[in-house]
Amino acid sequence: MIKMCDIRKYHDVDPAEIQRMKEAHVVLNHVDYKPQPIVKGYTDKILTIDVTDASVKIADIPAEVKEKFTGGKGYCLRYLWDATNANTRWDSPENEIVMSAGPIAGITQYAGTGKMLVCTISPMTDIPIDSNVGGFFGPYLKFSGFDAIELKGQAEEDVIIVIDGNKGTISVEKAPLEHMDAHLMGEELTAMYADNENDRKHVAVVCAGSAAEHCNISMLNFTFYDPNRGVVRLKQAGRGGIGRVFRHKKIKAVVCKYQGIKNDLNNVHDISIINKTGVKYHREMATQDPKQNNMRKIGTANTMKILNDYDILPTHNFKFGGTPNIAEMHPQVFIEKWLTQGAADGCWYGCSMACAKAADHFELLTGPYKGQKVVVDGPEYETAAGVGPNCGITDPQVILELNFYCDTYGLDTISWGTMCAFLMECYENGILNKERTGGLELNFGNAAAALELIHLTAKNEGFGKIAALGSHKQKELFIKNGWGDAAFLNDIAMEQKGLEYSEYGSKESLAQQGGYGLTNKGPQHDEAWLIFMDQVNNQIPTFDDKAEALYYYPRFRTWFGLVGLCKLPWNDVVPENNALTDEPAKVPEHVDNYLNLFYGVTGKKIDREELLVMSERVYNFQRIFNIRLGKGLRKHDAIPYRSMGPVTEEEYLSRQERYDGQLVTKVGFTKEQVAAMSLAEKMAETRKYREGEYEKLINAVYPKRGWTMNGVPTIEHLKKIGMDLPELIEIVEPLQNLEP
Amino acid sequence: MMLNDLPYPDWHEGLTIQGVIEHMNYTWPKLVTKVNGQLVWPEDYGNVVLQENDDLKIHHLLAGG
Amino acid sequence: MKRLVKDESLCVGCHNCEEACAKAFTKTEDRSKACLRIEGMAKTNDVQMRVCTQCGICASVCNTGVIQQNKQGVYMINKKECVGCYMCVGFCPEQVMYYVDGRNEPGKCTACGICVKACPVGALSIQDV
Repeated sequence: MIKMCDIRKYHDVDPAEIQRMKEAHVVLNHVDYKPQPIVKGYTDKILTIDVTDASVKIADIPAEVKEKFTGGKGYCLRYLWDATNANTRWDSPENEIVMSAGPIAGITQYAGTGKMLVCTISPMTDIPIDSNVGGFFGPYLKFSGFDAIELKGQAEEDVIIVIDGNKGTISVEKAPLEHMDAHLMGEELTAMYADNENDRKHVAVVCAGSAAEHCNISMLNFTFYDPNRGVVRLKQAGRGGIGRVFRHKKIKAVVCKYQGIKNDLNNVHDISIINKTGVKYHREMATQDPKQNNMRKIGTANTMKILNDYDILPTHNFKFGGTPNIAEMHPQVFIEKWLTQGAADGCWYGCSMACAKAADHFELLTGPYKGQKVVVDGPEYETAAGVGPNCGITDPQVILELNFYCDTYGLDTISWGTMCAFLMECYENGILNKERTGGLELNFGNAAAALELIHLTAKNEGFGKIAALGSHKQKELFIKNGWGDAAFLNDIAMEQKGLEYSEYGSKESLAQQGGYGLTNKGPQHDEAWLIFMDQVNNQIPTFDDKAEALYYYPRFRTWFGLVGLCKLPWNDVVPENNALTDEPAKVPEHVDNYLNLFYGVTGKKIDREELLVMSERVYNFQRIFNIRLGKGLRKHDAIPYRSMGPVTEEEYLSRQERYDGQLVTKVGFTKEQVAAMSLAEKMAETRKYREGEYEKLINAVYPKRGWTMNGVPTIEHLKKIGMDLPELIEIVEPLQNLEP
Repeated sequence: MMLNDLPYPDWHEGLTIQGVIEHMNYTWPKLVTKVNGQLVWPEDYGNVVLQENDDLKIHHLLAGG
Repeated sequence: MKRLVKDESLCVGCHNCEEACAKAFTKTEDRSKACLRIEGMAKTNDVQMRVCTQCGICASVCNTGVIQQNKQGVYMINKKECVGCYMCVGFCPEQVMYYVDGRNEPGKCTACGICVKACPVGALSIQDV
């Protein structure tokens, strides 16, 4: 086992090199400003930077915006809407990257309070994407006087934006020399803007990676300096191609510096309730986590084996729910061989869940950094599952290497994993071949090919150019080229609205099919994760039950992104007596903790219902934003059949007992009839049934959400939740009676 | 016997909650278990013998990130 | 390593030690703001004393790295750099760290000996162990 006390500090960057890089900067604009003090979690200021002319604008955030949109994702979407129009696409100069942390962000006394939300119009989906991220940038930006930042326009040459919240300065600078890959640029800019080693923890960097120049599935890295290791760590705003937009604007990095972190920089309303709630939670982590999820030892990857045991771990492009090789990547293997134990791994101060695990001095075996020893953040569950078993890879060393390169190149590990799995299935079915891939043998489990593909993608060479497109555009290209059958490609490409699925097999849970399909941004599990409630616990058996869950959870979970919180501390540990509560799945004590934190910071007392309405306003705003941009109707909520049922014979046969049984118990055939059916007939009947169930589910969910059968929010519902804003009514009014 | 509102086909004399958990390969550590509506704590899983007409609920607390 | 050592067999449960500690560092009479805890009843002979063992768990959970051992082996908080998250308070296995509303840094035993002086029966001592 590798212990933190045995970890030697990382090599420092060369000061002369940093000096050379800094001297190459050319200041395009420098602005002095007076940082707005925070009052009860808000500065009520937004910073707008147009990189076209390097202009800097600071504006007030009106009270109505605060009232309706709360902060975080709410602010991001509101300002993104105002800046764009129905024709704006990801590469339009007016498209913005908006980032906002939310009122609770930046307190240090509770776990998971450093989250930043990031929104833009996505190059993958052509609608708004929202992604949440840890690291220091969100809180530092707020301490520097801004509840949100908008990045717009397009620079001619690479620029960085530097905000110093103590000095009150903002500068936009040409920055030609820093490396593009995130693990290097993070170190370089951190060292450049820190006065000394101790000062490095006061520097937060946002950057992408070299692949973001040309690859749609690119993300943004957010740094946090780890003083115990002496190294810059990376967290990701992963989903939806935000990194591509960032680099298209020729923004190389945004740096924010703030020193003097204390627990009341938010000037909160009632610090006593925050302190009390925080210490209670830390105590719960100390006593319960070792008996529950072991988040402090392994992080979210603790669930790899569990999901395998329950037939949910996506394997071979979501064909199967587990792998016989799971023992290779048992949590204990990561704990004992790879992840450093005993480290304080929170990505923001006060995170006692500390799930940001790391493999230290990990020696890379491939690529441009071959032979170097690096810190690898993660792997989180989604990463491990996506680049791992979903691609047929179960060697932890390969998973860590893929994780490292995804991060430093700026690739979203979830999209990468799901997309690579799709390409592998295409290869195994002859849709791709060695000629088309430039010699890559993309069979499931071919780790060398997967690594080669990632390097080609970063370099934008060979088949890497096709990998850079993402599944949706790949599928279109293959169909256009006449490679493979269009219907089959549509069935197996695990994407919806243009976004790749995250890593849970949803075939056996109708509610989870809705949890993926009936989302705003595309199939990410952060709105509603219902597999266990549905598939294992059978707690939501009826359409009405499932619809209620698909109404409640997206609203509840959206709230985290409004206020600056991480969701994991909500339910990755639970109080010892949680089982005694009315609804253990909702972890009622933790919900009350959040109400206390919101009150403690803002002084506004809300109850559980009001919390949901706060989210519901933003949720419907996002839905209508989708409609404004040409998606957001019922037809866009359709999902690939691979997420619903068995596409291929081998999939059917792998769960034959279950599927044959369901033809009797659910579809209504007799055992004798099923016995007499051919495999093709059984598959066709199963498909007909399952696709029908999904439509019935939609029929139950939309009215609950206050939407028409075509998925359009009704005017009546918008009035009820106080969102009958003229710009929204203008869009939904003509669609009120439109049939699907 | 019912497990999570579905017939449990493998009931036998002397079956305990622990027996069901092992048979079903329920490896997740955070379970909320009730027999006929009465909460059973994990330390008693091996002691509680299930009757043929018992209503057993084993709910997994797991809700993704 | 210098640290506070307890002898429960001598403790009479007078709480003078807690009061002295709280008074010295938080200027209050509130015994919950002390770096040691005396629980139970002397009369029934079941007094329990909880003191800081300088185990260092507080330092290991701190992601600012501001709790470090001094030359005598005592874990000390660098108040200037502390961000006031109180994880150390929650994770202290003896539950002898505390926080005060409105003060950023938590309280932790520095093995200063104020409680030792306040104890009328010699149940506490500072030892080099």
